[in-house]
Formats: sequence, structure tokens, C-alpha cells
Amino acid sequence: MILVLLLAIPLAGALALLRAPGRAARALHGATAALTLAAAAALAVAVARAGVLTALGGFLRADALSAWMAALIGLVGALAAVEAPRYVAPGATGRFYPLLHLFVFTMLLAVTTDDVGFMWVAVEGTTLASVFLVNFERTRASLEAAYKYLLICSVGIAMAFLGTVLVYFADVQQFGHAEHALRWTTLLRLAPGLPPRVVELAFVFLVVGYGTKAGLAPMHTWLPDAHSEAPAPVSALMSGVLLSVGVYAVLRFKPVVDAAAGPGFAARILLALGLLSMAVAAAFLWTSSSYKRLLAYSSVEHVGIVCLGVGFGGPWGVAGALLHIGNHALAKSVLFLLAGRVRAAYGTADIAAVRGLLARMPRTGAAFLAGMLALMGLPPFGLFTSEVMIFGAGFREGWGAVAAVGLAVLVAAFAGLLRATQAMCYGVPEREPAPEAAGWPATLPVGVALALLVLTGLAWPPGLAAALDRIAAIVVR
Amino acid sequence: MTSTTNLLAFVGLVVALLLVWRQSWPGRLRLFAAQSVVLALLATVVGVLAARPGLVVVGAVFALVKVWIIPRVLRRIAAGAPVRPVAPGKSSGIALLVAGALVVAAYVVMLPVQAATRLPTQGAIPLAFAMALIGLYVCVTGRDALGHILGFLVFENGVFGLAILATYGLPGIVEAGVFLDVLVIVFIMEVVVVQVRREHASIAEERLRELRG
Repeated sequence: MILVLLLAIPLAGALALLRAPGRAARALHGATAALTLAAAAALAVAVARAGVLTALGGFLRADALSAWMAALIGLVGALAAVEAPRYVAPGATGRFYPLLHLFVFTMLLAVTTDDVGFMWVAVEGTTLASVFLVNFERTRASLEAAYKYLLICSVGIAMAFLGTVLVYFADVQQFGHAEHALRWTTLLRLAPGLPPRVVELAFVFLVVGYGTKAGLAPMHTWLPDAHSEAPAPVSALMSGVLLSVGVYAVLRFKPVVDAAAGPGFAARILLALGLLSMAVAAAFLWTSSSYKRLLAYSSVEHVGIVCLGVGFGGPWGVAGALLHIGNHALAKSVLFLLAGRVRAAYGTADIAAVRGLLARMPRTGAAFLAGMLALMGLPPFGLFTSEVMIFGAGFREGWGAVAAVGLAVLVAAFAGLLRATQAMCYGVPEREPAPEAAGWPATLPVGVALALLVLTGLAWPPGLAAALDRIAAIVVR
Repeated sequence: MTSTTNLLAFVGLVVALLLVWRQSWPGRLRLFAAQSVVLALLATVVGVLAARPGLVVVGAVFALVKVWIIPRVLRRIAAGAPVRPVAPGKSSGIALLVAGALVVAAYVVMLPVQAATRLPTQGAIPLAFAMALIGLYVCVTGRDALGHILGFLVFENGVFGLAILATYGLPGIVEAGVFLDVLVIVFIMEVVVVQVRREHASIAEERLRELRG
């Protein structure tokens, strides 16, 4: 029931928003986001109690992994929704709010359906729902970004479809046209008997395909453009959770491949792509001239770290990777929202043009600095904890050399981020202090997200450890 | 069954190769429609011979979407574009050579798949996969938005053919979702290309090169 509600709320909200007039639209938009968040939270609680929830004859299924992702999508969706009215002119609500909630709906559908074929449809749907959000400002650059995004992600995701076809082929060859042959639960049950070479081939296509969506190098080329040209709330959603939905899809296939082809195969691919993504991102963190692109490349880096965690494997690696997904979602969405405010005040996204942020916009600047420190992986923020878990798992599971290289790249990325942060936050501001956004919509979401980050870094709330254990048990078998 | 499916897949592949060779846009569009007809036939034939009525329906929907609706949209997209002049003496020899190499590669990559099955259609599987690879090649080397879309659609056709030959079709709900997705992609492409054209007064991809680094 709660599963159906979780999907019905954003979908119904999106449909209603198509027709809602300006003033009502804003209220309806807020209500939809709040209800979606409430439903996601209720799902998390229900899954924590019952273990697994199913609906519509097993077509929808939520285990701990789904609930974790749904909760993050609901949370980042709410953060973005509070900020959204600053970007939407009263006349343009019909072009923005419906697509925003449709975007959230497709992501929620992708993480709660048990059918991997339909999961593919939903992930493709995320691209289709968000193309016009990327192009919302209708500038030349945003149009180019939207075109690149649509084309590269469609081609990439078509690769994942090829992989899905091959998985289905392996399944059907071995066991006939069983009912629900593309259900993840069925695949997992039959996995030990699937032909290993075919499953390996399928996994390569799946990783390339969903990896495009996740922003893994070398398929990441759409990401910096789309993330930097989209309005801040959309960037927050894309960077915070959309990339993780791509990772989620790969995570679902990993235990199937491990059971069919042995544990080393998927791990090696993920480690190689993870390291490559981190290295590419670290290089661009040093050379990016725009802070929105800087944040986008940092997302590539963090997706790389998550892949390392999944590749290292073991309960620590996977739990660390999932925790890292959550931490990164919080930190990056806050940073994109703040970057949007900085851009509104300075009128440019150039790092070189922003000086003395702390002096000119004390509250925004302080939050931005805190977010950047969190993103660099410094304690007391949660990213420190999850990175320790991931690299610790690397050394524990016998991937010491890979973990060492990863740590070296991490230091390079850290330095690149630090350099840009220092340049932006300190120095003498060239102009007078700028008026800052006031009131609870401006401060509360940022405060909540940063507080949650400290919480995952210092003192895990009750239930988090148990939840991560259960998620790890889904991926590592 | 084997000879019919082999023949149809082979014809589909030849059409894909012609598409690489052909330079004029209306010609390429007709070739795409022809390839879609061949694949719709393939689905119907496999559906009839393997006694899978669902597949016949899929073939009909495929024909509706890819032979009728999508070419119409593509013609609309192309209508406002300046006809690309065919550079005299420009040969598509290298492109064809690459496409030929892709066919060989397709056979190599599909070895484990062929080894895992005794389906009567298995001989045609690498042909469909080669179609997909050639589509990908057309897409990434496309010089304008139309080339990109066309390559993507040929790629999609190849994967569809592969699904038909290797699995006798995916579950209905997935198949429906895929058709919907492809349709929406093409419609969105139309909107985006129209905007690009308004912005740039041409859809040459070279002009879409502002975002770098």
C-alpha cells in the first residue's frame, strides 16, 4: 500500500501541476514534495519493521536497499523543492514543477520495481523527464547541454538494454520462458545455473549503460555540462540521487553476476572504472574554471569512490558505499543549492570572479565552506566515515594496491577542491555585502542536511547500522 | 525457420551497411524505414513459426512506430534543415571498412551467446548484433543531429532484432515500455532540434561545441 502511495503521490502531483495556475501551483508543488518525503520515510520505517514489502503482485518490491534509495530520493527531492520557487518565474510553473515531480517519480519507480526490464524503462524515463529541466533556462549553453545529455544517455542506456536482453536470454535458455523471468528475485534464485560467459558479457553492457547514467568515466562527458547548466534544484537532484540510481541498477545485477560467474569478474570491472573516474575527476578538479563544473566533476569522483566500495566488496565495502551514496547526496545537493545562490549574487559561475564569499555573504559562505569541507571528506562529516569504511574494506578484502592508488588520487582531488574553495571563500570581496536569502526556506533545508551529515559522521542514529547491514547482505551473498 | 530468419537478418544488416554508404538524407531515411520493415517481418515470422502470438503483435506495433510514426517525425525534423551538400568525390570507403570490421567483431563478441543456445535462430544473432554496432558507429560519427538520431535508431533496431532472435521477444510490459521510450526520445529530439535550429540557424553539430573542459 505504502509502495503504491509512494509512486502515486509524485505522479498525481505532476499531473495536477500541469493544469494548476501560478499561485496554486506553488502550494501544490510544496504539498507534493512534502507528501513524497513522508511516504518515503514511511516506506523506510515499514521496511525496517517487515524486511521486504511487495505490491501489485510482486511487480513492486522494496527491500532495505530500495528503501534506502527511496528515502534519499525523497529527502533530496524535498531539499530541491524548497529551493525551486526561487528559480521559477510565476509564468513558467507549468514547464518546471510537473517535470520535477515526474523526474522524482521515475527515480522512485526505478528503485522500487522488481522487474529489471521495467527498471530499465524507468531509468530511461529519468532522462526523458529531466531533459527539459536541464534546458529550463533556455540559453544556448543549456540547450547544448540538454542535447548532449539526451543523446549520450539514450545511447548509453540502450547499451544497458542490450545487457538486459542478454540476461533475459541466459535466463530463458536455461529455464524456459518462466513467468516473471526478468524479476530480480527470479534472476537471483536462478543465477547459479546461468551460463557464466553470457552473464559476463551482459554485465559489461550493463555497466557501460547504467555507468553512463551514473557518470562513470569515460562515459561521463554529458555530466559536467548538464549539471552546470541545469537550474540549481535540478542539479541537486541529478548529482545527489540520479547518479546513484545508475549505481543502484548495477548493484542489483552484481549479486546475479557473482553467483553466475564467480565473485572476481564484476569487482574488477567496477574497481577499474572507479579508479578511472576518480583520476579523470581529480584532473578536472584542478582545471575547472566554473564552480558548478567543479561540483559536477566532484560527483564523478564520488561515484568512482562508491564503485570502489562496491568493487572491494565485503559487508564493509558495500555498507560504506551505500552510506557514501547517502552522504554525497546530502553534501552535494546542499552545495548545488548554495552555488545557485552564489551565482545569483555574483552573476557568474567563474571561480575567479568569486572572492571573499565569507565576507560578502556570511551565512551562505559559511554553509558553502562547511559543505565543501564535508565533500573533501574531512571529519566530523559523514563522508569521512564512509570513505574510511570503503578504503578500510579495500585493505581488508585484499585489494591493498588498488586502495592505495585510490587514496593517492583522493588526496589529489582533495587538494583541487581545497584550492578552489580557498580562492572563493577568502580574499577581499570586490563589492559590498550582498543581500542573502532569509527565512526558513533558505536556512532550514541547508541546516538539516548539514546536521544529518554531522550525524552520519559522529553518532549514527539508531537503526542506521542495522539498515546498512541489511543492505550489505542484499548485495554481498 | 533457420533459413528465413537468417535471410531476414542478413537483409537487415545489408540495409545497415547501405545506410553507412548512403550520403543523402532522404535516402538514408528510406533505408531506415526499409530496415524497420525487415525487422517487423522478422518478428512476425518468428512469432508465427515459434507459435508466439504475442510476437506478431509486437511486430505490428514495431511497424506502426518505426515504419510509420518515427519516419514521419524524422521528415519533419529534416524539413527545415539545409540539405547537406554531398561533397563531390568524398568516398564512404573508410566508413564501410569500419562497418565491415564491426561485423567481424560482432561474430567474435557473440561467440559465448551462440555457444549457450541451440535455437534455430542462433545463426542470425551476430547479424543483429552487427546491426546494433553499425548503428552505434553511425551515431558517434554523425556530423549533424539527424545523423545522431538515425544512428541511435538503427542501434535500437539491432537490439530489437537481437531480442527477437535470442529470446523470442521480451515480456510484454517491457516491450511496451521500450516502444514508449523510443517514441518519446524521438519527439523530444524534435523539440530540441527545433530549438537548436532557432538558436543556430543550422543543425550542424560543429556548432554545438561551446561547452568544453
